[in-house]
Amino acid sequence: MKILTIQEVESFLKAIESDYDVQAPIKLHDGTRALGKLDEGALAIAGGRIPQKITNVFFPQMETVLTAGSEKIELPKPLSKPLLVVGFTAQDADCLKFIDRFYSENYRDDIYFNKRDGAVIVCVSGRCGVDGEFLKIAGENCDIELISDGRNYLLAAYTGTGKSLAEKTGGVEADDDLIEQLQKESDALPTDDLELIQKASKLLLEEKVPDEFWVNISDRCIACTSCNLACPTCTCFDVFDRKLDGKTRRYRMWDSCQLDGFMREASGHNPMGTENLRTRRRIHHKLAADVTRWGQITCMLCGRCDDVCPTGIGIKSVCRAMVDKYGSL
Amino acid sequence: MKKILTTCPYCGTGCMYYLVVGDDGTLLGVEPSSEHVVAKGQLCVKGWNAYHFVNHPDRLTGPLIRRNGKMEPASWDEALDLVVSRLKETQTVHGNNSVAFFSSAKTTNEENYLMMKLARAAFKTNNVDHCARLCHSSTVVGLAATFGSGAMTNSISCMEEADCILVTGSNTTEQHPLIGSRIIENVTKRGARLIVADNRKIRLARLADIHVRWKNGTDVAFLNGIMNVIIAEGLEDKEFVKTRTENYEELKKVVADYTPEKTAEICGITPEEIIKVAHMFAKADKAMIVYSMGITQHTHGVDNVKSCANLAMLTGNIGRPGTGVNPLRGQNNVQGACDMGALPNVYSGYQKVTEPDIRKKFEKAWNVDSLPGEVGYTVTTAINAAAEGKLKALYIMGENPMMSDPDQNHVREAMEKLDFIVVQDIFPTPTTAYADVILPATTYAEKDGTFTSTERRVQRVRKAIEPIGQSRTDWEILCDVARRAGYNGMKYNSAGDILDEIAIVTPIYGGMSFERIDQIGLQWPCPDKEHPGTPVLHSAKFSRGLGLFSPAEYRPSAELPDEEYPFVLSTGRCYFHFHTGTMTRRSQLLDREERFPYVEISPEDAKELGIADRSWTYVTTRRGEVKSMAHVTDVAKKGVLFMPFHFEEGPANLLTINALDPVAKIPEYKVCAAKIRSA
Repeated sequence: MKILTIQEVESFLKAIESDYDVQAPIKLHDGTRALGKLDEGALAIAGGRIPQKITNVFFPQMETVLTAGSEKIELPKPLSKPLLVVGFTAQDADCLKFIDRFYSENYRDDIYFNKRDGAVIVCVSGRCGVDGEFLKIAGENCDIELISDGRNYLLAAYTGTGKSLAEKTGGVEADDDLIEQLQKESDALPTDDLELIQKASKLLLEEKVPDEFWVNISDRCIACTSCNLACPTCTCFDVFDRKLDGKTRRYRMWDSCQLDGFMREASGHNPMGTENLRTRRRIHHKLAADVTRWGQITCMLCGRCDDVCPTGIGIKSVCRAMVDKYGSL
Repeated sequence: MKKILTTCPYCGTGCMYYLVVGDDGTLLGVEPSSEHVVAKGQLCVKGWNAYHFVNHPDRLTGPLIRRNGKMEPASWDEALDLVVSRLKETQTVHGNNSVAFFSSAKTTNEENYLMMKLARAAFKTNNVDHCARLCHSSTVVGLAATFGSGAMTNSISCMEEADCILVTGSNTTEQHPLIGSRIIENVTKRGARLIVADNRKIRLARLADIHVRWKNGTDVAFLNGIMNVIIAEGLEDKEFVKTRTENYEELKKVVADYTPEKTAEICGITPEEIIKVAHMFAKADKAMIVYSMGITQHTHGVDNVKSCANLAMLTGNIGRPGTGVNPLRGQNNVQGACDMGALPNVYSGYQKVTEPDIRKKFEKAWNVDSLPGEVGYTVTTAINAAAEGKLKALYIMGENPMMSDPDQNHVREAMEKLDFIVVQDIFPTPTTAYADVILPATTYAEKDGTFTSTERRVQRVRKAIEPIGQSRTDWEILCDVARRAGYNGMKYNSAGDILDEIAIVTPIYGGMSFERIDQIGLQWPCPDKEHPGTPVLHSAKFSRGLGLFSPAEYRPSAELPDEEYPFVLSTGRCYFHFHTGTMTRRSQLLDREERFPYVEISPEDAKELGIADRSWTYVTTRRGEVKSMAHVTDVAKKGVLFMPFHFEEGPANLLTINALDPVAKIPEYKVCAAKIRSA
């Protein structure tokens, strides 16, 4: 396994830009970290997960579904180059694995796979979280992983594409002891959050959480929809049309189950017509309904909804309150 | 794809975020700024959707001129020449003050500055005003009289450190969501006490220690009642009163009459509620007042504001972090539009037009002679003057008086009487329907400039995409109008140059420049290039020296319920729409949330009248009748109806009363008499 300086990582990414549309964590104008092209801001791989859901590179806030002219219907064009996306954390890679599954089972979502097929996923882990916090080593669900030792990056390639790309990098061979040490650190990371969410899931599946709990939580919800819009496993969208220059363009855009209109029927009746029902749904969906439907909890504990919620009712804090209150039942 | 840092065009909280621009130059979304002092990586639902309307197909894309009663496409030259010639002709025949200019709290500081400069320097009239008249003119007047500065005294971050917060007439979580969320966090995590004094059971009321549901319009009595208890029990801050204020004896005299019993009777609450509020507020180390339209939009709006200021001074809650009188400004740049002097009585920085020395200063700076010295029409008195035939022409930039002003039929009559109307806007509105010339302007996403948020923070607006169609930025249009009107003092290469001029003539903006606010905005007063800005006003002394206690007697609202019209009708905004709906009703998810005009009615009243939830009703006042969908909800108090004013097809302002505060000229949107029946 090679070890690269950050400059060598950057050179590597620049070198493959001719073959890939490289998207990596960069610093925007005021220092906010976000995905972008390398010439749009300084590379900022370290610093933890990027604030926005990284899966938006394949499922953006708004995108064209089709364009209907007077004679034909045009579908979105295939990408000119495949995407290479740097910056997935181990949790993000888990999220991606789930939405790949979601968008391919039953009905294959061509618009999603138009971008996703052929895309190279690069995870980032090791001692490069916020203030040097250790990020879990993914070890799977990606093509390449950059594992930080606090200064440089070990480059682990897991897939055929990843391995052939790895051959193009500079760097020197890494010391086996270092690899082992980093893996040990990763394995020793606390699993409190995982245990918490599993306990919360169990409480919901066993129907031990009364309505009153959701009323108290939803009293604090200001319906900003950020929890949904920041969540890498939220996949709901709304479809709308716009007529311009003699053509009708159909778009889809992120939707939110925290909005009354999300489930409201034409009659005005709404099976999710109260805030507490909607708040319950947000948590219940990921921790109970998806367990039944997909066989897994679909919150991967990335923490974005906890960061983005203005009133402190992201999924982890709600689970904590739930387990504190009903965990001994 | 690129990401451009800019400021939200909705409320006055002033969240900054990135606009996501697709490779084809259309907007595809927003990403919050995790570094911004207010947004902190968060946004409300309107912020998340603030990209959506920009590329809407309804955008005005070319100038239009009315010919034979029909709006027809015209060139910019044709349209602007017509604007200038008609305005000048009108002035020649009817005098300079026969023309008025409506500026806009949605446009930038630079554009507001230029609008008032255009009116004053090129057209020699002080008839310039904007929609602050309809929301916080009573704040500007009331706080200027008591403190010497008509703006929010503290910063948004202060919401996190107050020990007690009195929220009155502000539905904060819906109208300033990221301020409301700070109040929620302070209450739920830090244990701050929360008093909600509001007729409606708003979200914050669910978390409040005390929720007082007084009768609409009895604010002065309520606040006097609280002060009566505080003084009677010796809970006032004696040191603060002695060293920092004047006219205390007069306050004492006036509030002496407002015993808890008498106040309770006026307000329709119990004496115990008043005593409890007084104790909770007065005993807190850091107590803060947060208010908005529920205080300001009354015929006694100025008295309401002064009473809030009196309470804060009486308890020594001014000039420290976590305290203050905090009017939340409703529009992205309504603070800035006021600061820029888009008002009939002041130039930028609240410098009075009636003072000869100030006029001389501006004459010199602008290279003009004889600037007018008499105070001009307000938005509301201009409409009245038009209806009376005294005002002949109106130039409206980014305002929609047909939807936003009280008593729509009265506004319609005024619009029909005007000889010439220019409307400069981004979308067709009920107001453009009356225009003789329509000038297509750009949205916030297509221009550079600054907005000033409710906490007096001047922040950057950045061009993310090219102007749609032939639309032009408001500032470029205004400069072109000035040039054609023969005034050569409005030539700029960029919006940054305009801010540089503002800094020269406006002491409170003296230190502002694009360079200094590149990443983080500065709070005024910021008098010079080294000044760090001012997060908390009136720390060592008030802007006017000593704080002036300005007691007021309770005066009932202009139109109270009676046998024929037994309900109180109150109007305002809902969470998902903004003002006259021009932008939010063209935003997919926001419009989906509230698609119909609606009226909130209490479950008791609905039951009595046989009105079902989401069924259609007619709401009627002495001004007219509006079809509206019933929202049966305990948010509404028995006897009170609430309607948002966003809906063209069910305009709440067809119903409201054109009764004005005598000083601020703000309309009484919060109280009129109404009735309701099933449709």
